[in-house]
Amino acid sequence: MHQREDGTFEVGGLVELAALNAAQVRDEIKSRMGADCLALEMDLASVTFLDSSGLGTLISLHKALRTRGGEFRIVNAAPNVLQILELTRLHRVFQIITR
Amino acid sequence: MSTPGAASLRSAFRSVIQIEAGCDFVSIRKASETVQSWLVEQGLAEREAASWELVLAEAGNNAVEHTSVEAKSLPVGIEVICSDRDVVVRVTDHGPGFDFPEEVELPDLDSDGGRGLFLIKSLTESCRYLRGPGGNVLVLERSRSERAPDDSLSVGLLRLRLAEAERALSDMTEELSSNYESLVALFRYSGELGASANLLDFSGRILSDLMTLTGADALIFRVAGSGQSVLQTFRSFPPDGFGGGPPISIADVAGSIEAHAASCCEDVWFGVERPLGARDPLAGAKGLVSGLCHPALVAGQLIGTVTLGYASEDPHLTAAKVNLLHTFVDFLGIQFVNARLQDERTRARVTRRELEIAANIQRSLLPSEARVPAPFTIAGTCRSALQVGGDLYDIVPAGPDGLMLVIADVMGKGVPAALLAAIIRTAVRSMPQLFRKPGVLLKTLNQILYEDFSGADMFATAKVAFLDFSNRSLTSASAGHCPLLVCATRGASAASSVEAGLPLGIEREVDYPEARWRLGDGGAVLIYTDGLTEARNPAGEMYGDVRLTHDFEEVLRATSTAGDASSELLRRLKAFCSDAPASDDQTLILLRHC
Repeated sequence: MHQREDGTFEVGGLVELAALNAAQVRDEIKSRMGADCLALEMDLASVTFLDSSGLGTLISLHKALRTRGGEFRIVNAAPNVLQILELTRLHRVFQIITR
Repeated sequence: MSTPGAASLRSAFRSVIQIEAGCDFVSIRKASETVQSWLVEQGLAEREAASWELVLAEAGNNAVEHTSVEAKSLPVGIEVICSDRDVVVRVTDHGPGFDFPEEVELPDLDSDGGRGLFLIKSLTESCRYLRGPGGNVLVLERSRSERAPDDSLSVGLLRLRLAEAERALSDMTEELSSNYESLVALFRYSGELGASANLLDFSGRILSDLMTLTGADALIFRVAGSGQSVLQTFRSFPPDGFGGGPPISIADVAGSIEAHAASCCEDVWFGVERPLGARDPLAGAKGLVSGLCHPALVAGQLIGTVTLGYASEDPHLTAAKVNLLHTFVDFLGIQFVNARLQDERTRARVTRRELEIAANIQRSLLPSEARVPAPFTIAGTCRSALQVGGDLYDIVPAGPDGLMLVIADVMGKGVPAALLAAIIRTAVRSMPQLFRKPGVLLKTLNQILYEDFSGADMFATAKVAFLDFSNRSLTSASAGHCPLLVCATRGASAASSVEAGLPLGIEREVDYPEARWRLGDGGAVLIYTDGLTEARNPAGEMYGDVRLTHDFEEVLRATSTAGDASSELLRRLKAFCSDAPASDDQTLILLRHC
């Protein structure tokens, strides 16, 4: 979890984003991300388990960024994670990038 | 492949795992992981097991979230039964439970929560929630994929896509059925059109149906008139609703939605985003706030515009309804063009028929068979360049030994000229007492016709000649007509003479001098119109007086009757002209003594 030189706040290394940690992850990111930060990138490469609470966290962060006119991006989501995003049609909401 | 007995036997081979998890997220998460590993051990595909892991986590978390303080200490029971056919999961909790919805819809894309139940429903085939006083059981089932380890998430996705496909299919069905409706309606209209030629009634039926089908509050059909420069109201519904007012100038693109649609040949919508301007004629219609104006075009030609108007801000014009509007209006446009063509054809047919009648009348006015005492013979002919012409000849017996010859050429051709020619004929016949004085006859005729002719800005030339058989004297007078040719005796050269005299209808008082001739044995006289001498061959040469005189002398020598001489003369004229069409009427009277 760190801020890149270009100002983008980058989050990675999560193993799962689910009921257990979803709220905590959300709050931690919101508190550590600078108030003037206009880009948040969630690298989900290592996430193997995503449930509806995890989806709630992603949506909450997306809204937070949008409110301040910034961008929220999901990077490198694994196929099973991508499929849950598609199943719930959130792929139409999020900017999803694979690097 | 298998008998029912074998199937039940196979389903008897099943394994079961039971877990009592604490009523908290950590325990539930652990239990779902345990189940996932256990299912893989039972031979389930990794992804199928992973989807059960997610379903179990969602179901367990629900139990945790909806528990009560008292139930917090009681475990959440999880039982998984895995056969080689399916997986059944039972989640038992001891809380108050919740209302499990029949249908689970996705929440708004923006909403943080509400996706758990959706995931459970999407990833299972059967989902039952049983509430009881001591606890609630959620029973979830899904068959195992028999073939290559299928991606269970993909199955959910497939179902979703299937649902989307079904929606698309249902939209298409709606559109198809609206197309079918319009097709049926159009066939019916086509049938009606045959029965009624009234375009006003016909368009009224089409448009009122269209209004009903599109749910419009008002409809107006304006047609392009005055060389495509204005739109005029043709039909409007409700009849007293709107559509009155003066024609709309198509150039007024800024002031009128209809003019805009007509000039750019495109649909124009109006409503909240594009309100009607204050001076837009549509704004005059009570309470009309939204709608669509569609230009009716046939082969790129503007026929008019049809506007659907709505009193509400949202016209609810679906693609199918817009389609309906286009189809109906296109059809109406084609009928309009057809009706116009039909009108023109009918008018042309009527005109042609009238001309035929006029030609028949004119022919009937020519003398059928003139009788002259032997050894005289006489022939007359009149060939019109058009169906009806302005030439006239008449042969009127006058007593036992007199004969009046009349030939006239009214300026111009066609029906007006023919009408005046008929008047001349009647006027001459009404004055038999003047036949022996052709000069006086013409003077009187001119006086009678002067008003009629000058009123119509027309005039006529005429030649009248009276033959007294008792002394073979010929007295002629001319009103600006071309000369007559006389061969005084057999074999004599033809002489012509021009008696002075203005054409009829030029001045009120004109004197017409007379000329006198005497026809000896074998003598002949030819009276004609200038259609003969002014006929041209393809090279543009005129037949002319010299040729006519020469041919007249020759045919008299070559023939013995007036009929034969006349036919031969016309044959020579025709040969000279070759294929060139006659530009003027050709008329002659030929009288000869044996």
